Amino acid sequence: MTSADSSLLFRARTLFLTGKGGTGKTALSAAVGRLAAAQGRKTLVVEVDNQRPSLTSIFGVTPSYAPVEVSKNLSICNVEWTAAMDDWLADMVSIPRLVMMITHNRVVSVFLQATPGARDLVVLWRIFQLSRNYETVIVDLPASGNAVAMMQVPNTARTLFDSGPIRGCAEQLLDFFRQPGVGLVQVCLPEEMVITETVETFRKIRGELPMLKIPAVVLNRTTPPSIQPAERALLEKLRAGATDTLAVELTEAGLWDAELEVATLNARQRLAAEMGLPVISLPVHSRGEGSARVVGQLASALARASQSPVTWREG
Amino acid sequence: MNLQELVQTRKLLVCVGSGGVGKTTTAASLALAGALAGRRTLVLTIDPARRLANSLGLQEFGNTEVRIELGPEVKGELWAMMLDAPSTLRDVIRKVAKDDAQRDAVYNNRIFKAISGSFSGSQEYMATERLYDVHISGRYDLIVLDTPPVKNALDFLESPGRLVKFLDRQIMKWFLTPLEEDRVFGKRLWLGTAAVVYRLLGHIFGKEFLGELSVFFTLFRDFYEGFRERHEAVGKIFTSDATRFLVVAAPTDPSVEVARFFLQELAQRSCPTAGVIMNQVHRCSNNPPDVEALLGSSARALDPVQAPSVLARVGAAHRRLRELANLDQQRVEELRRAAGSRLWMKVIPRISGEVHDLAGLRGLHHYLIEDSVHSV
Repeated sequence: MTSADSSLLFRARTLFLTGKGGTGKTALSAAVGRLAAAQGRKTLVVEVDNQRPSLTSIFGVTPSYAPVEVSKNLSICNVEWTAAMDDWLADMVSIPRLVMMITHNRVVSVFLQATPGARDLVVLWRIFQLSRNYETVIVDLPASGNAVAMMQVPNTARTLFDSGPIRGCAEQLLDFFRQPGVGLVQVCLPEEMVITETVETFRKIRGELPMLKIPAVVLNRTTPPSIQPAERALLEKLRAGATDTLAVELTEAGLWDAELEVATLNARQRLAAEMGLPVISLPVHSRGEGSARVVGQLASALARASQSPVTWREG
Repeated sequence: MNLQELVQTRKLLVCVGSGGVGKTTTAASLALAGALAGRRTLVLTIDPARRLANSLGLQEFGNTEVRIELGPEVKGELWAMMLDAPSTLRDVIRKVAKDDAQRDAVYNNRIFKAISGSFSGSQEYMATERLYDVHISGRYDLIVLDTPPVKNALDFLESPGRLVKFLDRQIMKWFLTPLEEDRVFGKRLWLGTAAVVYRLLGHIFGKEFLGELSVFFTLFRDFYEGFRERHEAVGKIFTSDATRFLVVAAPTDPSVEVARFFLQELAQRSCPTAGVIMNQVHRCSNNPPDVEALLGSSARALDPVQAPSVLARVGAAHRRLRELANLDQQRVEELRRAAGSRLWMKVIPRISGEVHDLAGLRGLHHYLIEDSVHSV
């Protein structure tokens, strides 16, 4: 186990991001990418085989298989597995005529496509190749369960193949995971179920892919604690005594806000205790994370967090 | 057809949508509604992340059906199952194997081990098996299926097709033939083309692996027909009138986008879609309330020291809630337009705290079924 150093999040050469669905990992990937580009590094943000790329609404450009530059130092792409399969074949089989024969043979190509794990392997291979052309690559992985399955594919391939091109490919990918600048970060929300899933996934990755460095965990959509116990007590008394509908709604709004603060505090404590990692907290922007403006705000919040990763005191 | 009618009359309800929209909880709540309506109901989740137990307030459970006690006054039954891919595949093999030797030969094959364990997509293959099992078992009047987030839910719809492809008779033939050459009529021609396929695959997989693959397919030959039949049957179930798909969403841009995508895809696949459930919608009256007039005097009477900061706090919180409620409403309208007039839409307000026990589910059930005020 590598000791956690949250700075890897901000200077990674390749950073894989995952999280339960709906945690905002695409927006965060875009934000980490934007920050790296702003710091002058040639950066690529990668979406993984998404039929409807989420990066489109953020950058106003639909990412294609070939990276497109969206602003200074910043490119985006969508690694579609069909195109990745062609590239992979070209890399594995050095004779172009043979590649042609393989892709043109129905039985062979159907078999390759239907082989479980093949999609993930060729997508990872493409990411590995891309990482050689950029200073920073940010990968927006699928949701947790499937992301873990995908990252495990080189391991599985290694147990299946004693020799040959796939074995070689798997070895190279595992070496890639071992590189000092390569890491994985999970995105979490201050909600019980999301935290539980995050911790489970973390243990699984630690167990099965111990070489992957996990520098920190990102807690998205937090509400910094500020309410005092005396304020809370008064709020509860007001709620109990309120009869007017609007007065009830007002006090409930106040309690809702206070609940969010408590949830944030609990999430920070649980994540720190159960994962033993620095927790990087980002503010609420939940309602429009698909926009460029919010990604900019997230990038600024990240930049502040990179100066001092613990952004506010505990309780 | 409203939700109450759906849970009373259909055999299978499939919940689809992006992650984080309360899909698992919605599925569990619909199953509860089925049980309360007197039916024997099963909620089945194939989400690789194990959250069903969590939302039912149970300890983690595996590949078996677990009954959730609802009390003697309830006529129906509520059962739950979470999919565990490796054990499902082993179950299937055990059932179909001729004898222990054949079963163990499959269990010990390296390729089988890899397929049953760690490859992504194996959950979807196996879910199809499980769904088929419980569907034809006749044990349940209603099955509610919870699916993984977007991309893999589509894989799930496609998995019957994909598994059949992998185990395609034509493809298996290439691997089986070299082991049983003498049985093949027109052996020379056959071997000519087979040899090409073999050589090409050999360049990628290595000769040694191909040998093992042949063994795997030979072992699997006896299972093949059963697999194919079951997966085709599940394909038919998905388009049957006894099935309805429900698109579950939350008021965020990505989730609305995914929901629109599902509406299109389901229509294209001729999957009967019933409607849209929009969860987690913030509710708030639209006008800025006069905080001082409503709460000022009572706050100062209760605690003059804390009153100013608390009054400021509730004002600010209400403002934020108002903004959220307005944004949510826009998303609701957007999705309502996308769903069109043919489908209904159910709007569920954000519930304070999280739903992680039966009491919570009953609360949600109230909004889903009984409270018809917000449905369209």
